[in-house]
Amino acid sequence: MINLVQLLATGVSVGLVYGLVAVGFVLIYKGSRIFNFAQGEMVMAGAFLTWTFIGLLKLPIIPGLLLSFLLAGAVGYGFERFPFRPMIGQPILAIIMATMGIAVFLHGLSILLWANYIGIQFPRFVPEKMFYPLGIPFSSVTVGSLVLVLALVVVFSLFFYFTRTGLHMRAAAESHQLAQSMGIRVTRVVALSWAIAAVVSTVAGFLFGYTRGIDTGLANLGLVAIAAALVGGLESFKGALMGGLIIGVAETLTGFYVGRGLKEVVPYLVMVAVVYYKPYGLFGLKRIERV
Amino acid sequence: MRLPSGVFNVSYMQDMMVFRTRNHRLGIAGLLLALLAFPAVSSHYFLVLFNTVAITVISLQGLNILAGYCGQISIGHSAFMAVGAYSSALLAGHTGIPLWFCMPLGGLAAGLAGILFGLPSLKVKEFYLALTTIAAQFIVIYLIKTPFPEITGGAIALHVPPLAVGGFIFDSEVQFFYLILPAVVLSTFLAKSLTRSHVGRAFVAIRDNDIAAEAMGINLYRYKLLAFFIGCFFAGAAGALWAAYVKVISPDDFTLMNSIWLMGMLIVGGLGSTLGPIFGAIFIKALNELVVLASPVLSAAVPQIGGQISAALVEMVFGLTIIFFLIYEPRGLVHRWEILKESYRLWPFSY
Repeated sequence: MINLVQLLATGVSVGLVYGLVAVGFVLIYKGSRIFNFAQGEMVMAGAFLTWTFIGLLKLPIIPGLLLSFLLAGAVGYGFERFPFRPMIGQPILAIIMATMGIAVFLHGLSILLWANYIGIQFPRFVPEKMFYPLGIPFSSVTVGSLVLVLALVVVFSLFFYFTRTGLHMRAAAESHQLAQSMGIRVTRVVALSWAIAAVVSTVAGFLFGYTRGIDTGLANLGLVAIAAALVGGLESFKGALMGGLIIGVAETLTGFYVGRGLKEVVPYLVMVAVVYYKPYGLFGLKRIERV
Repeated sequence: MRLPSGVFNVSYMQDMMVFRTRNHRLGIAGLLLALLAFPAVSSHYFLVLFNTVAITVISLQGLNILAGYCGQISIGHSAFMAVGAYSSALLAGHTGIPLWFCMPLGGLAAGLAGILFGLPSLKVKEFYLALTTIAAQFIVIYLIKTPFPEITGGAIALHVPPLAVGGFIFDSEVQFFYLILPAVVLSTFLAKSLTRSHVGRAFVAIRDNDIAAEAMGINLYRYKLLAFFIGCFFAGAAGALWAAYVKVISPDDFTLMNSIWLMGMLIVGGLGSTLGPIFGAIFIKALNELVVLASPVLSAAVPQIGGQISAALVEMVFGLTIIFFLIYEPRGLVHRWEILKESYRLWPFSY
């Protein structure tokens, strides 16, 4: 019983990180109707970047993290300018392929820059300690990532609903033309959503990298997060978090009760099942199509 | 299609011809003859290159029917190649049925797998569909790797029985060349014929607007699944051919990255045209080889960067190529080829 609760807790903490990446994905989708397949590679590159600052260059943790978030954000901001702005109005396949082009490019870049460092890890700075709320053991890392993700989600919601820029983003998500005619610079909003998504991916890369080491396999975790976004429905942040939680828990449970092999496939099985029965996700908007 | 000046279509048959003028027919016959003579003059390196490119072209023709004509994006195409490769190799290896007989069966198995994973296409499209095909990619590789490693060879490798017809065993590059060349010609012919038939027109209608297509009486259920079946059949056949050609296969030959490469080749070549897969495969493969050749020079110049420089550069160049093509020539190399032909015909009166 304790075991099950513990597994659930692990699942929730993994799932929240998936949810975080999924939020970044949904942000870009809402802002610009772009499906960002490079999300996984952004997680991976973000982890490597963070490691470069605090592992390789030995910067203190907080400035190192801030610096890598800043850099990731700048790169994300740039993605809007190239390649996405010249592609406005192109069919969906072209946009998907462009994000895949970015994904392949980032993958190659990461190999180029960081392939020499094998089996790298972030320096341990969270004291290894166990907490026992209600008698169930939690590691300090789990608690830490839980707190960090929840804090980020709260900050996001506040930003989204109570600031002017957040209002602009919500307006642009509704309709680009309408937002533009109200004097909102949509290109800037879209670029901002890319920047935020890049930062969020970097945070997730850091959290994943801390627990399981940094390698190119992190990209697959980012892909899982896309599945989470789909489970939740692409229109909703709440859905993204819920999707992340569902997938995280399902993954942890199968990993424990069935085996590691299936663990890597379960997110996609869940996603296919959900998409088949509820095509637009659990919290998505049902679209009505006309000729 | 524009014709050279002075050539006019006066019957439907002429209008439907693929090779309309005498020069056309001479050109294609000359090309085929030249290809037949290719092993006599080619070095081993180019022969290997040709064989791999040709197998890729077969697979791409399938992807082109699925994504280019029917508009169903698939980013799990190499998984269906894996289905074909593994089912033909396993069937031949465990039952003793000759491999040449199992290869079309491998294609069939991939086609059926395609129908299975194409089922969501009836409810969702575009991005959602792309992601369910990615799911196919992971699920297929999982099925190969994990549940029955003693049968499927697991994550490591599976040895494929030799390809023998009668007493003749296909073994050398040249022998495989004369097997692969007819296969690629046949698959191109089939793809072209299919897209000119009522099935192909139904696919195009679905691609352009599936609701309108349904309103016009096209059975979406049937044609979308048919597109998946045909596209994946090509992939499976190519996979089976690949398995027979390389003789040892492993799940690492059929990763998500390979699927993205296939899609990228199609983008570069041009979607929705029979020539597209051929141009795309040749262009990307050539670019790839150039980068591999150039990377030792680069790593000698800048020794600080990592050991896997060629792998890294290949991916970076590929990613940038896709993006540049999407921005500057979204219709692919085929479009350039059309422009070239046009200006040749109109020369010197270009406009």
